[in-house]
Amino acid sequence: MSETHIQIDNVNAYYSGNHALKNISVQIPKKQITAIIGPSGCGKSTLLKCMNRLIDLTDEITYSGKILIDGENVFDKKTDIINIRKKMGLLAQKPTPLPMSIYENIAYGPRIHGLRKKPDLDNIVEKYLKLVGLWEEVKDRLNSPASNLSIGQQQRLCLARGLAVEPEIILCDEPTSALDPVSSQHIEQQLLKLKEDYTIVIVTHNIHQAMRLADYVVHLYLGELVEHGTANEVFENPKEERTRAYINGTFIPEYTIDTEVNLKGNECPYNFIYAKQALHKLGKGKILKVIVDYPTAVTEVPRGMEADGHNVLRVKQINESDWEILIRKN
Amino acid sequence: MEFRRIEEAVFKVLMIFSLLIVVGSLLAVIGIILWKGLPVLSIDMLTKTAEGGYYFGKGGGILNAIIGSLYLALGGTILAFFLSIGIAFYLQKEYSGGTRLSNLTRLCLDILWGTPSIVYGAFGFTVLMYFQMRASLIAGIIVLALLELPIMTRAMEEVIKTVPLELKEVSYSLGATRLETTLRVVSKQALPGLMTGVLIAFGRGIGDAASILFTAGYTDRIPTSLFDATASLPLAIFFQLGTPFPAVQQKAYASAVILLVIILAISITTRLLSRKYTKYIIK
Ligand SMILES: Nc1ncnc2c1ncn2[C@@H]1O[C@H](COP(=O)(O)OP(=O)(O)OP(=O)(O)O)[C@@H](O)[C@H]1O
Ligand SMILES: [Mg+2]
Repeated sequence: MSETHIQIDNVNAYYSGNHALKNISVQIPKKQITAIIGPSGCGKSTLLKCMNRLIDLTDEITYSGKILIDGENVFDKKTDIINIRKKMGLLAQKPTPLPMSIYENIAYGPRIHGLRKKPDLDNIVEKYLKLVGLWEEVKDRLNSPASNLSIGQQQRLCLARGLAVEPEIILCDEPTSALDPVSSQHIEQQLLKLKEDYTIVIVTHNIHQAMRLADYVVHLYLGELVEHGTANEVFENPKEERTRAYINGTFIPEYTIDTEVNLKGNECPYNFIYAKQALHKLGKGKILKVIVDYPTAVTEVPRGMEADGHNVLRVKQINESDWEILIRKN
Repeated sequence: MEFRRIEEAVFKVLMIFSLLIVVGSLLAVIGIILWKGLPVLSIDMLTKTAEGGYYFGKGGGILNAIIGSLYLALGGTILAFFLSIGIAFYLQKEYSGGTRLSNLTRLCLDILWGTPSIVYGAFGFTVLMYFQMRASLIAGIIVLALLELPIMTRAMEEVIKTVPLELKEVSYSLGATRLETTLRVVSKQALPGLMTGVLIAFGRGIGDAASILFTAGYTDRIPTSLFDATASLPLAIFFQLGTPFPAVQQKAYASAVILLVIILAISITTRLLSRKYTKYIIK
C-alpha cells in the first residue's frame, strides 16, 4: 500500500446533536484516487468538508478527532487553516464560478496569495486553462463573465481555478452529477490524468464512476465507516455484507447477456465503432457484453456509450489483460 | 369544482383591483405634480437663489434649496453608506457568529426605522442646543445619515444574506480570508442589491423635511461651509405651499417636479453604472 497523504483519525461530527460521522478512521493514499461511496445522507460531504474545514461555515457543528495532512492536524485551532485550504482544491457538485470574468476566476486564488504581476498571472491563467482543456474554447473571451460558459465548461473552469493555487490534494463532491455525459467524461479524464501529480478524493453516488476512477474506496453508511480498501478488494470481494448489498443494490446482480462481442486486439476508435454497431443491432433494453484488452478502451468505450445515452452496467477486469463491459441499450 | 372556480375568479378580480389602485395612485401623484408644476417651472427657478420676498411672490428661484438638498442628501447618504456597509457585513454569521449582539443590533435598527423623522429632528435639535450650536449643513447631514442608516443597513443585510453559501465556500477553499471573501466575492455578487439599498435610502433622505427642519435650518443663500445653515427642497415646498399667494403655491409644485427629476436622475445613473458590474453576477 502506498504512502498515506491524509490520515483521518477517530473523527466524529455532530450537526446540533445529529451524529453525522461516527469514529471514522481511514488513510487516504497519496497520488491515487480515493472514492467515498455510500447512500445519500451517510456523511460523505461532511467528511470531505472536514478535510479542509469548510464545515466551519455550517451552523451548530461540532467535531472531534484528528485529520493529519503532512503531519499537521487540520482540526487543531492553531493550525493555519488558510495554508491547509491552499493545499486542497475543491470541486463542488454544482459548478460555481465566482462573479467575475473567466480570467479573474483563475487569477483569484494566485492573487490573494500575493501574486500581482500581470505577466505571471497571464501565464498561470493560460497554463491551467490548457491543463483542463478549456483554453482553445475561451482564449478569445477571457474577459467575458464566467457565468456565460456552459455548465460543463464552468466545471472545468472550477477545476482549473482550484489547480491554480497549486494544491496537492483535490477534493471533489459529486463533481459530475450536474453535468451531461460528455462533460462528465471530460472531467473524469482530467481526474485520471491529474492523479499522477495530485491526491484526489472524490465523493460519488455513481458506482460506475467509482469503479472507473478509484484506486481506493471508502464506504460510509449512516455515518459509519463500513469498509475501506483498494478498489479491487472492495468491488470484487467486499468483506462486509453491507458493502456487498450497496454495490449489488446499484447493480442488477444477474444479467442475461443478449450479445457478446469480443474486441480483443482492436485499437481505440475501432473498439468504439464495433461496440456501437453491435449495440445498433440490439433491441431496446437488451444487454451487450464487450470484451476489450486495449487499455484506453476500458474507459473510453463505457464513456462513449453513456454519452450516447446507454447504460453501462459493469466494467470489470476478468483477467490480466481483458476487461468486460456490460452495456444496456436505451 | 364550481366553488373553486368562483374562488379563483374572485381572487383574480381582487388582485387586479389592488394593482389598479397602486398604479393609479402613482400616476395620479406624478400627473398632478406635472400638471400643476410644469407650467410655472422656469429657468429662473433653477438658476437663481431666492431673493428677499420670494415667498411673497417676488423674483428669484430655489437654486439654494436644490443645492442644499443635494448637499444634505448626498452627504447623509455617503455617511450612512460607510456605517451601513460595515454593520451589514458584521451582521453576517461569519463575523458576528449570529450572536445576541447581532440580534440586538437588528432590533435597534428596526426601531430606528419605525421612528418618525420629526423625532430625529427633535433629537438633533436638542443636541445642537446642548452644544450651543446653530442649525447647519453638517448637523442636517448627520441627522439624515441617522435616518437613512436603518433603511440602508437592513436592505443591504438582506441582499448580503442571499449571496449563495457555495460562492463563499469556493473563496474559502482557495485559501481566502474572511475579509478577502467579503470584499472580493460577496460584495461583487451583492453589488446591484447594495446599490438599490443606497438608492432607497437616498430617496428617503432627500425627501424628508421634518428631520432637517430644526437641524439644517433654512436660508436664501447657498451654503459655502459645512457650518452654514442650508435650504432644502422639501422645506421649500412646505414654505411655498404655506403662503397665501396662489402664484407662490404653484411654484411649490414646480419644486416638487425638480425633486422628482433629481430622484429619477440619480436612480437611472446608478442603474447604468451598476450594469457595468452586474454582468458578472452568478444567478
Ligand atoms: N447543515 C446541516 N445541518 C444539519 N444537518 C446536516 C447538515 N448537513 C448535513 N446534515 C446531516 O448530516 C448527515 C450527513 O450529511 P451529508 O451531507 O454529509 O451526506 P452525504 O453523504 O453527502 O449525502 P448526499 O449524498 O445526499 O450528498 C445527514 O443526515 C444530513 O441530514
Ligand atoms: Mg453530499
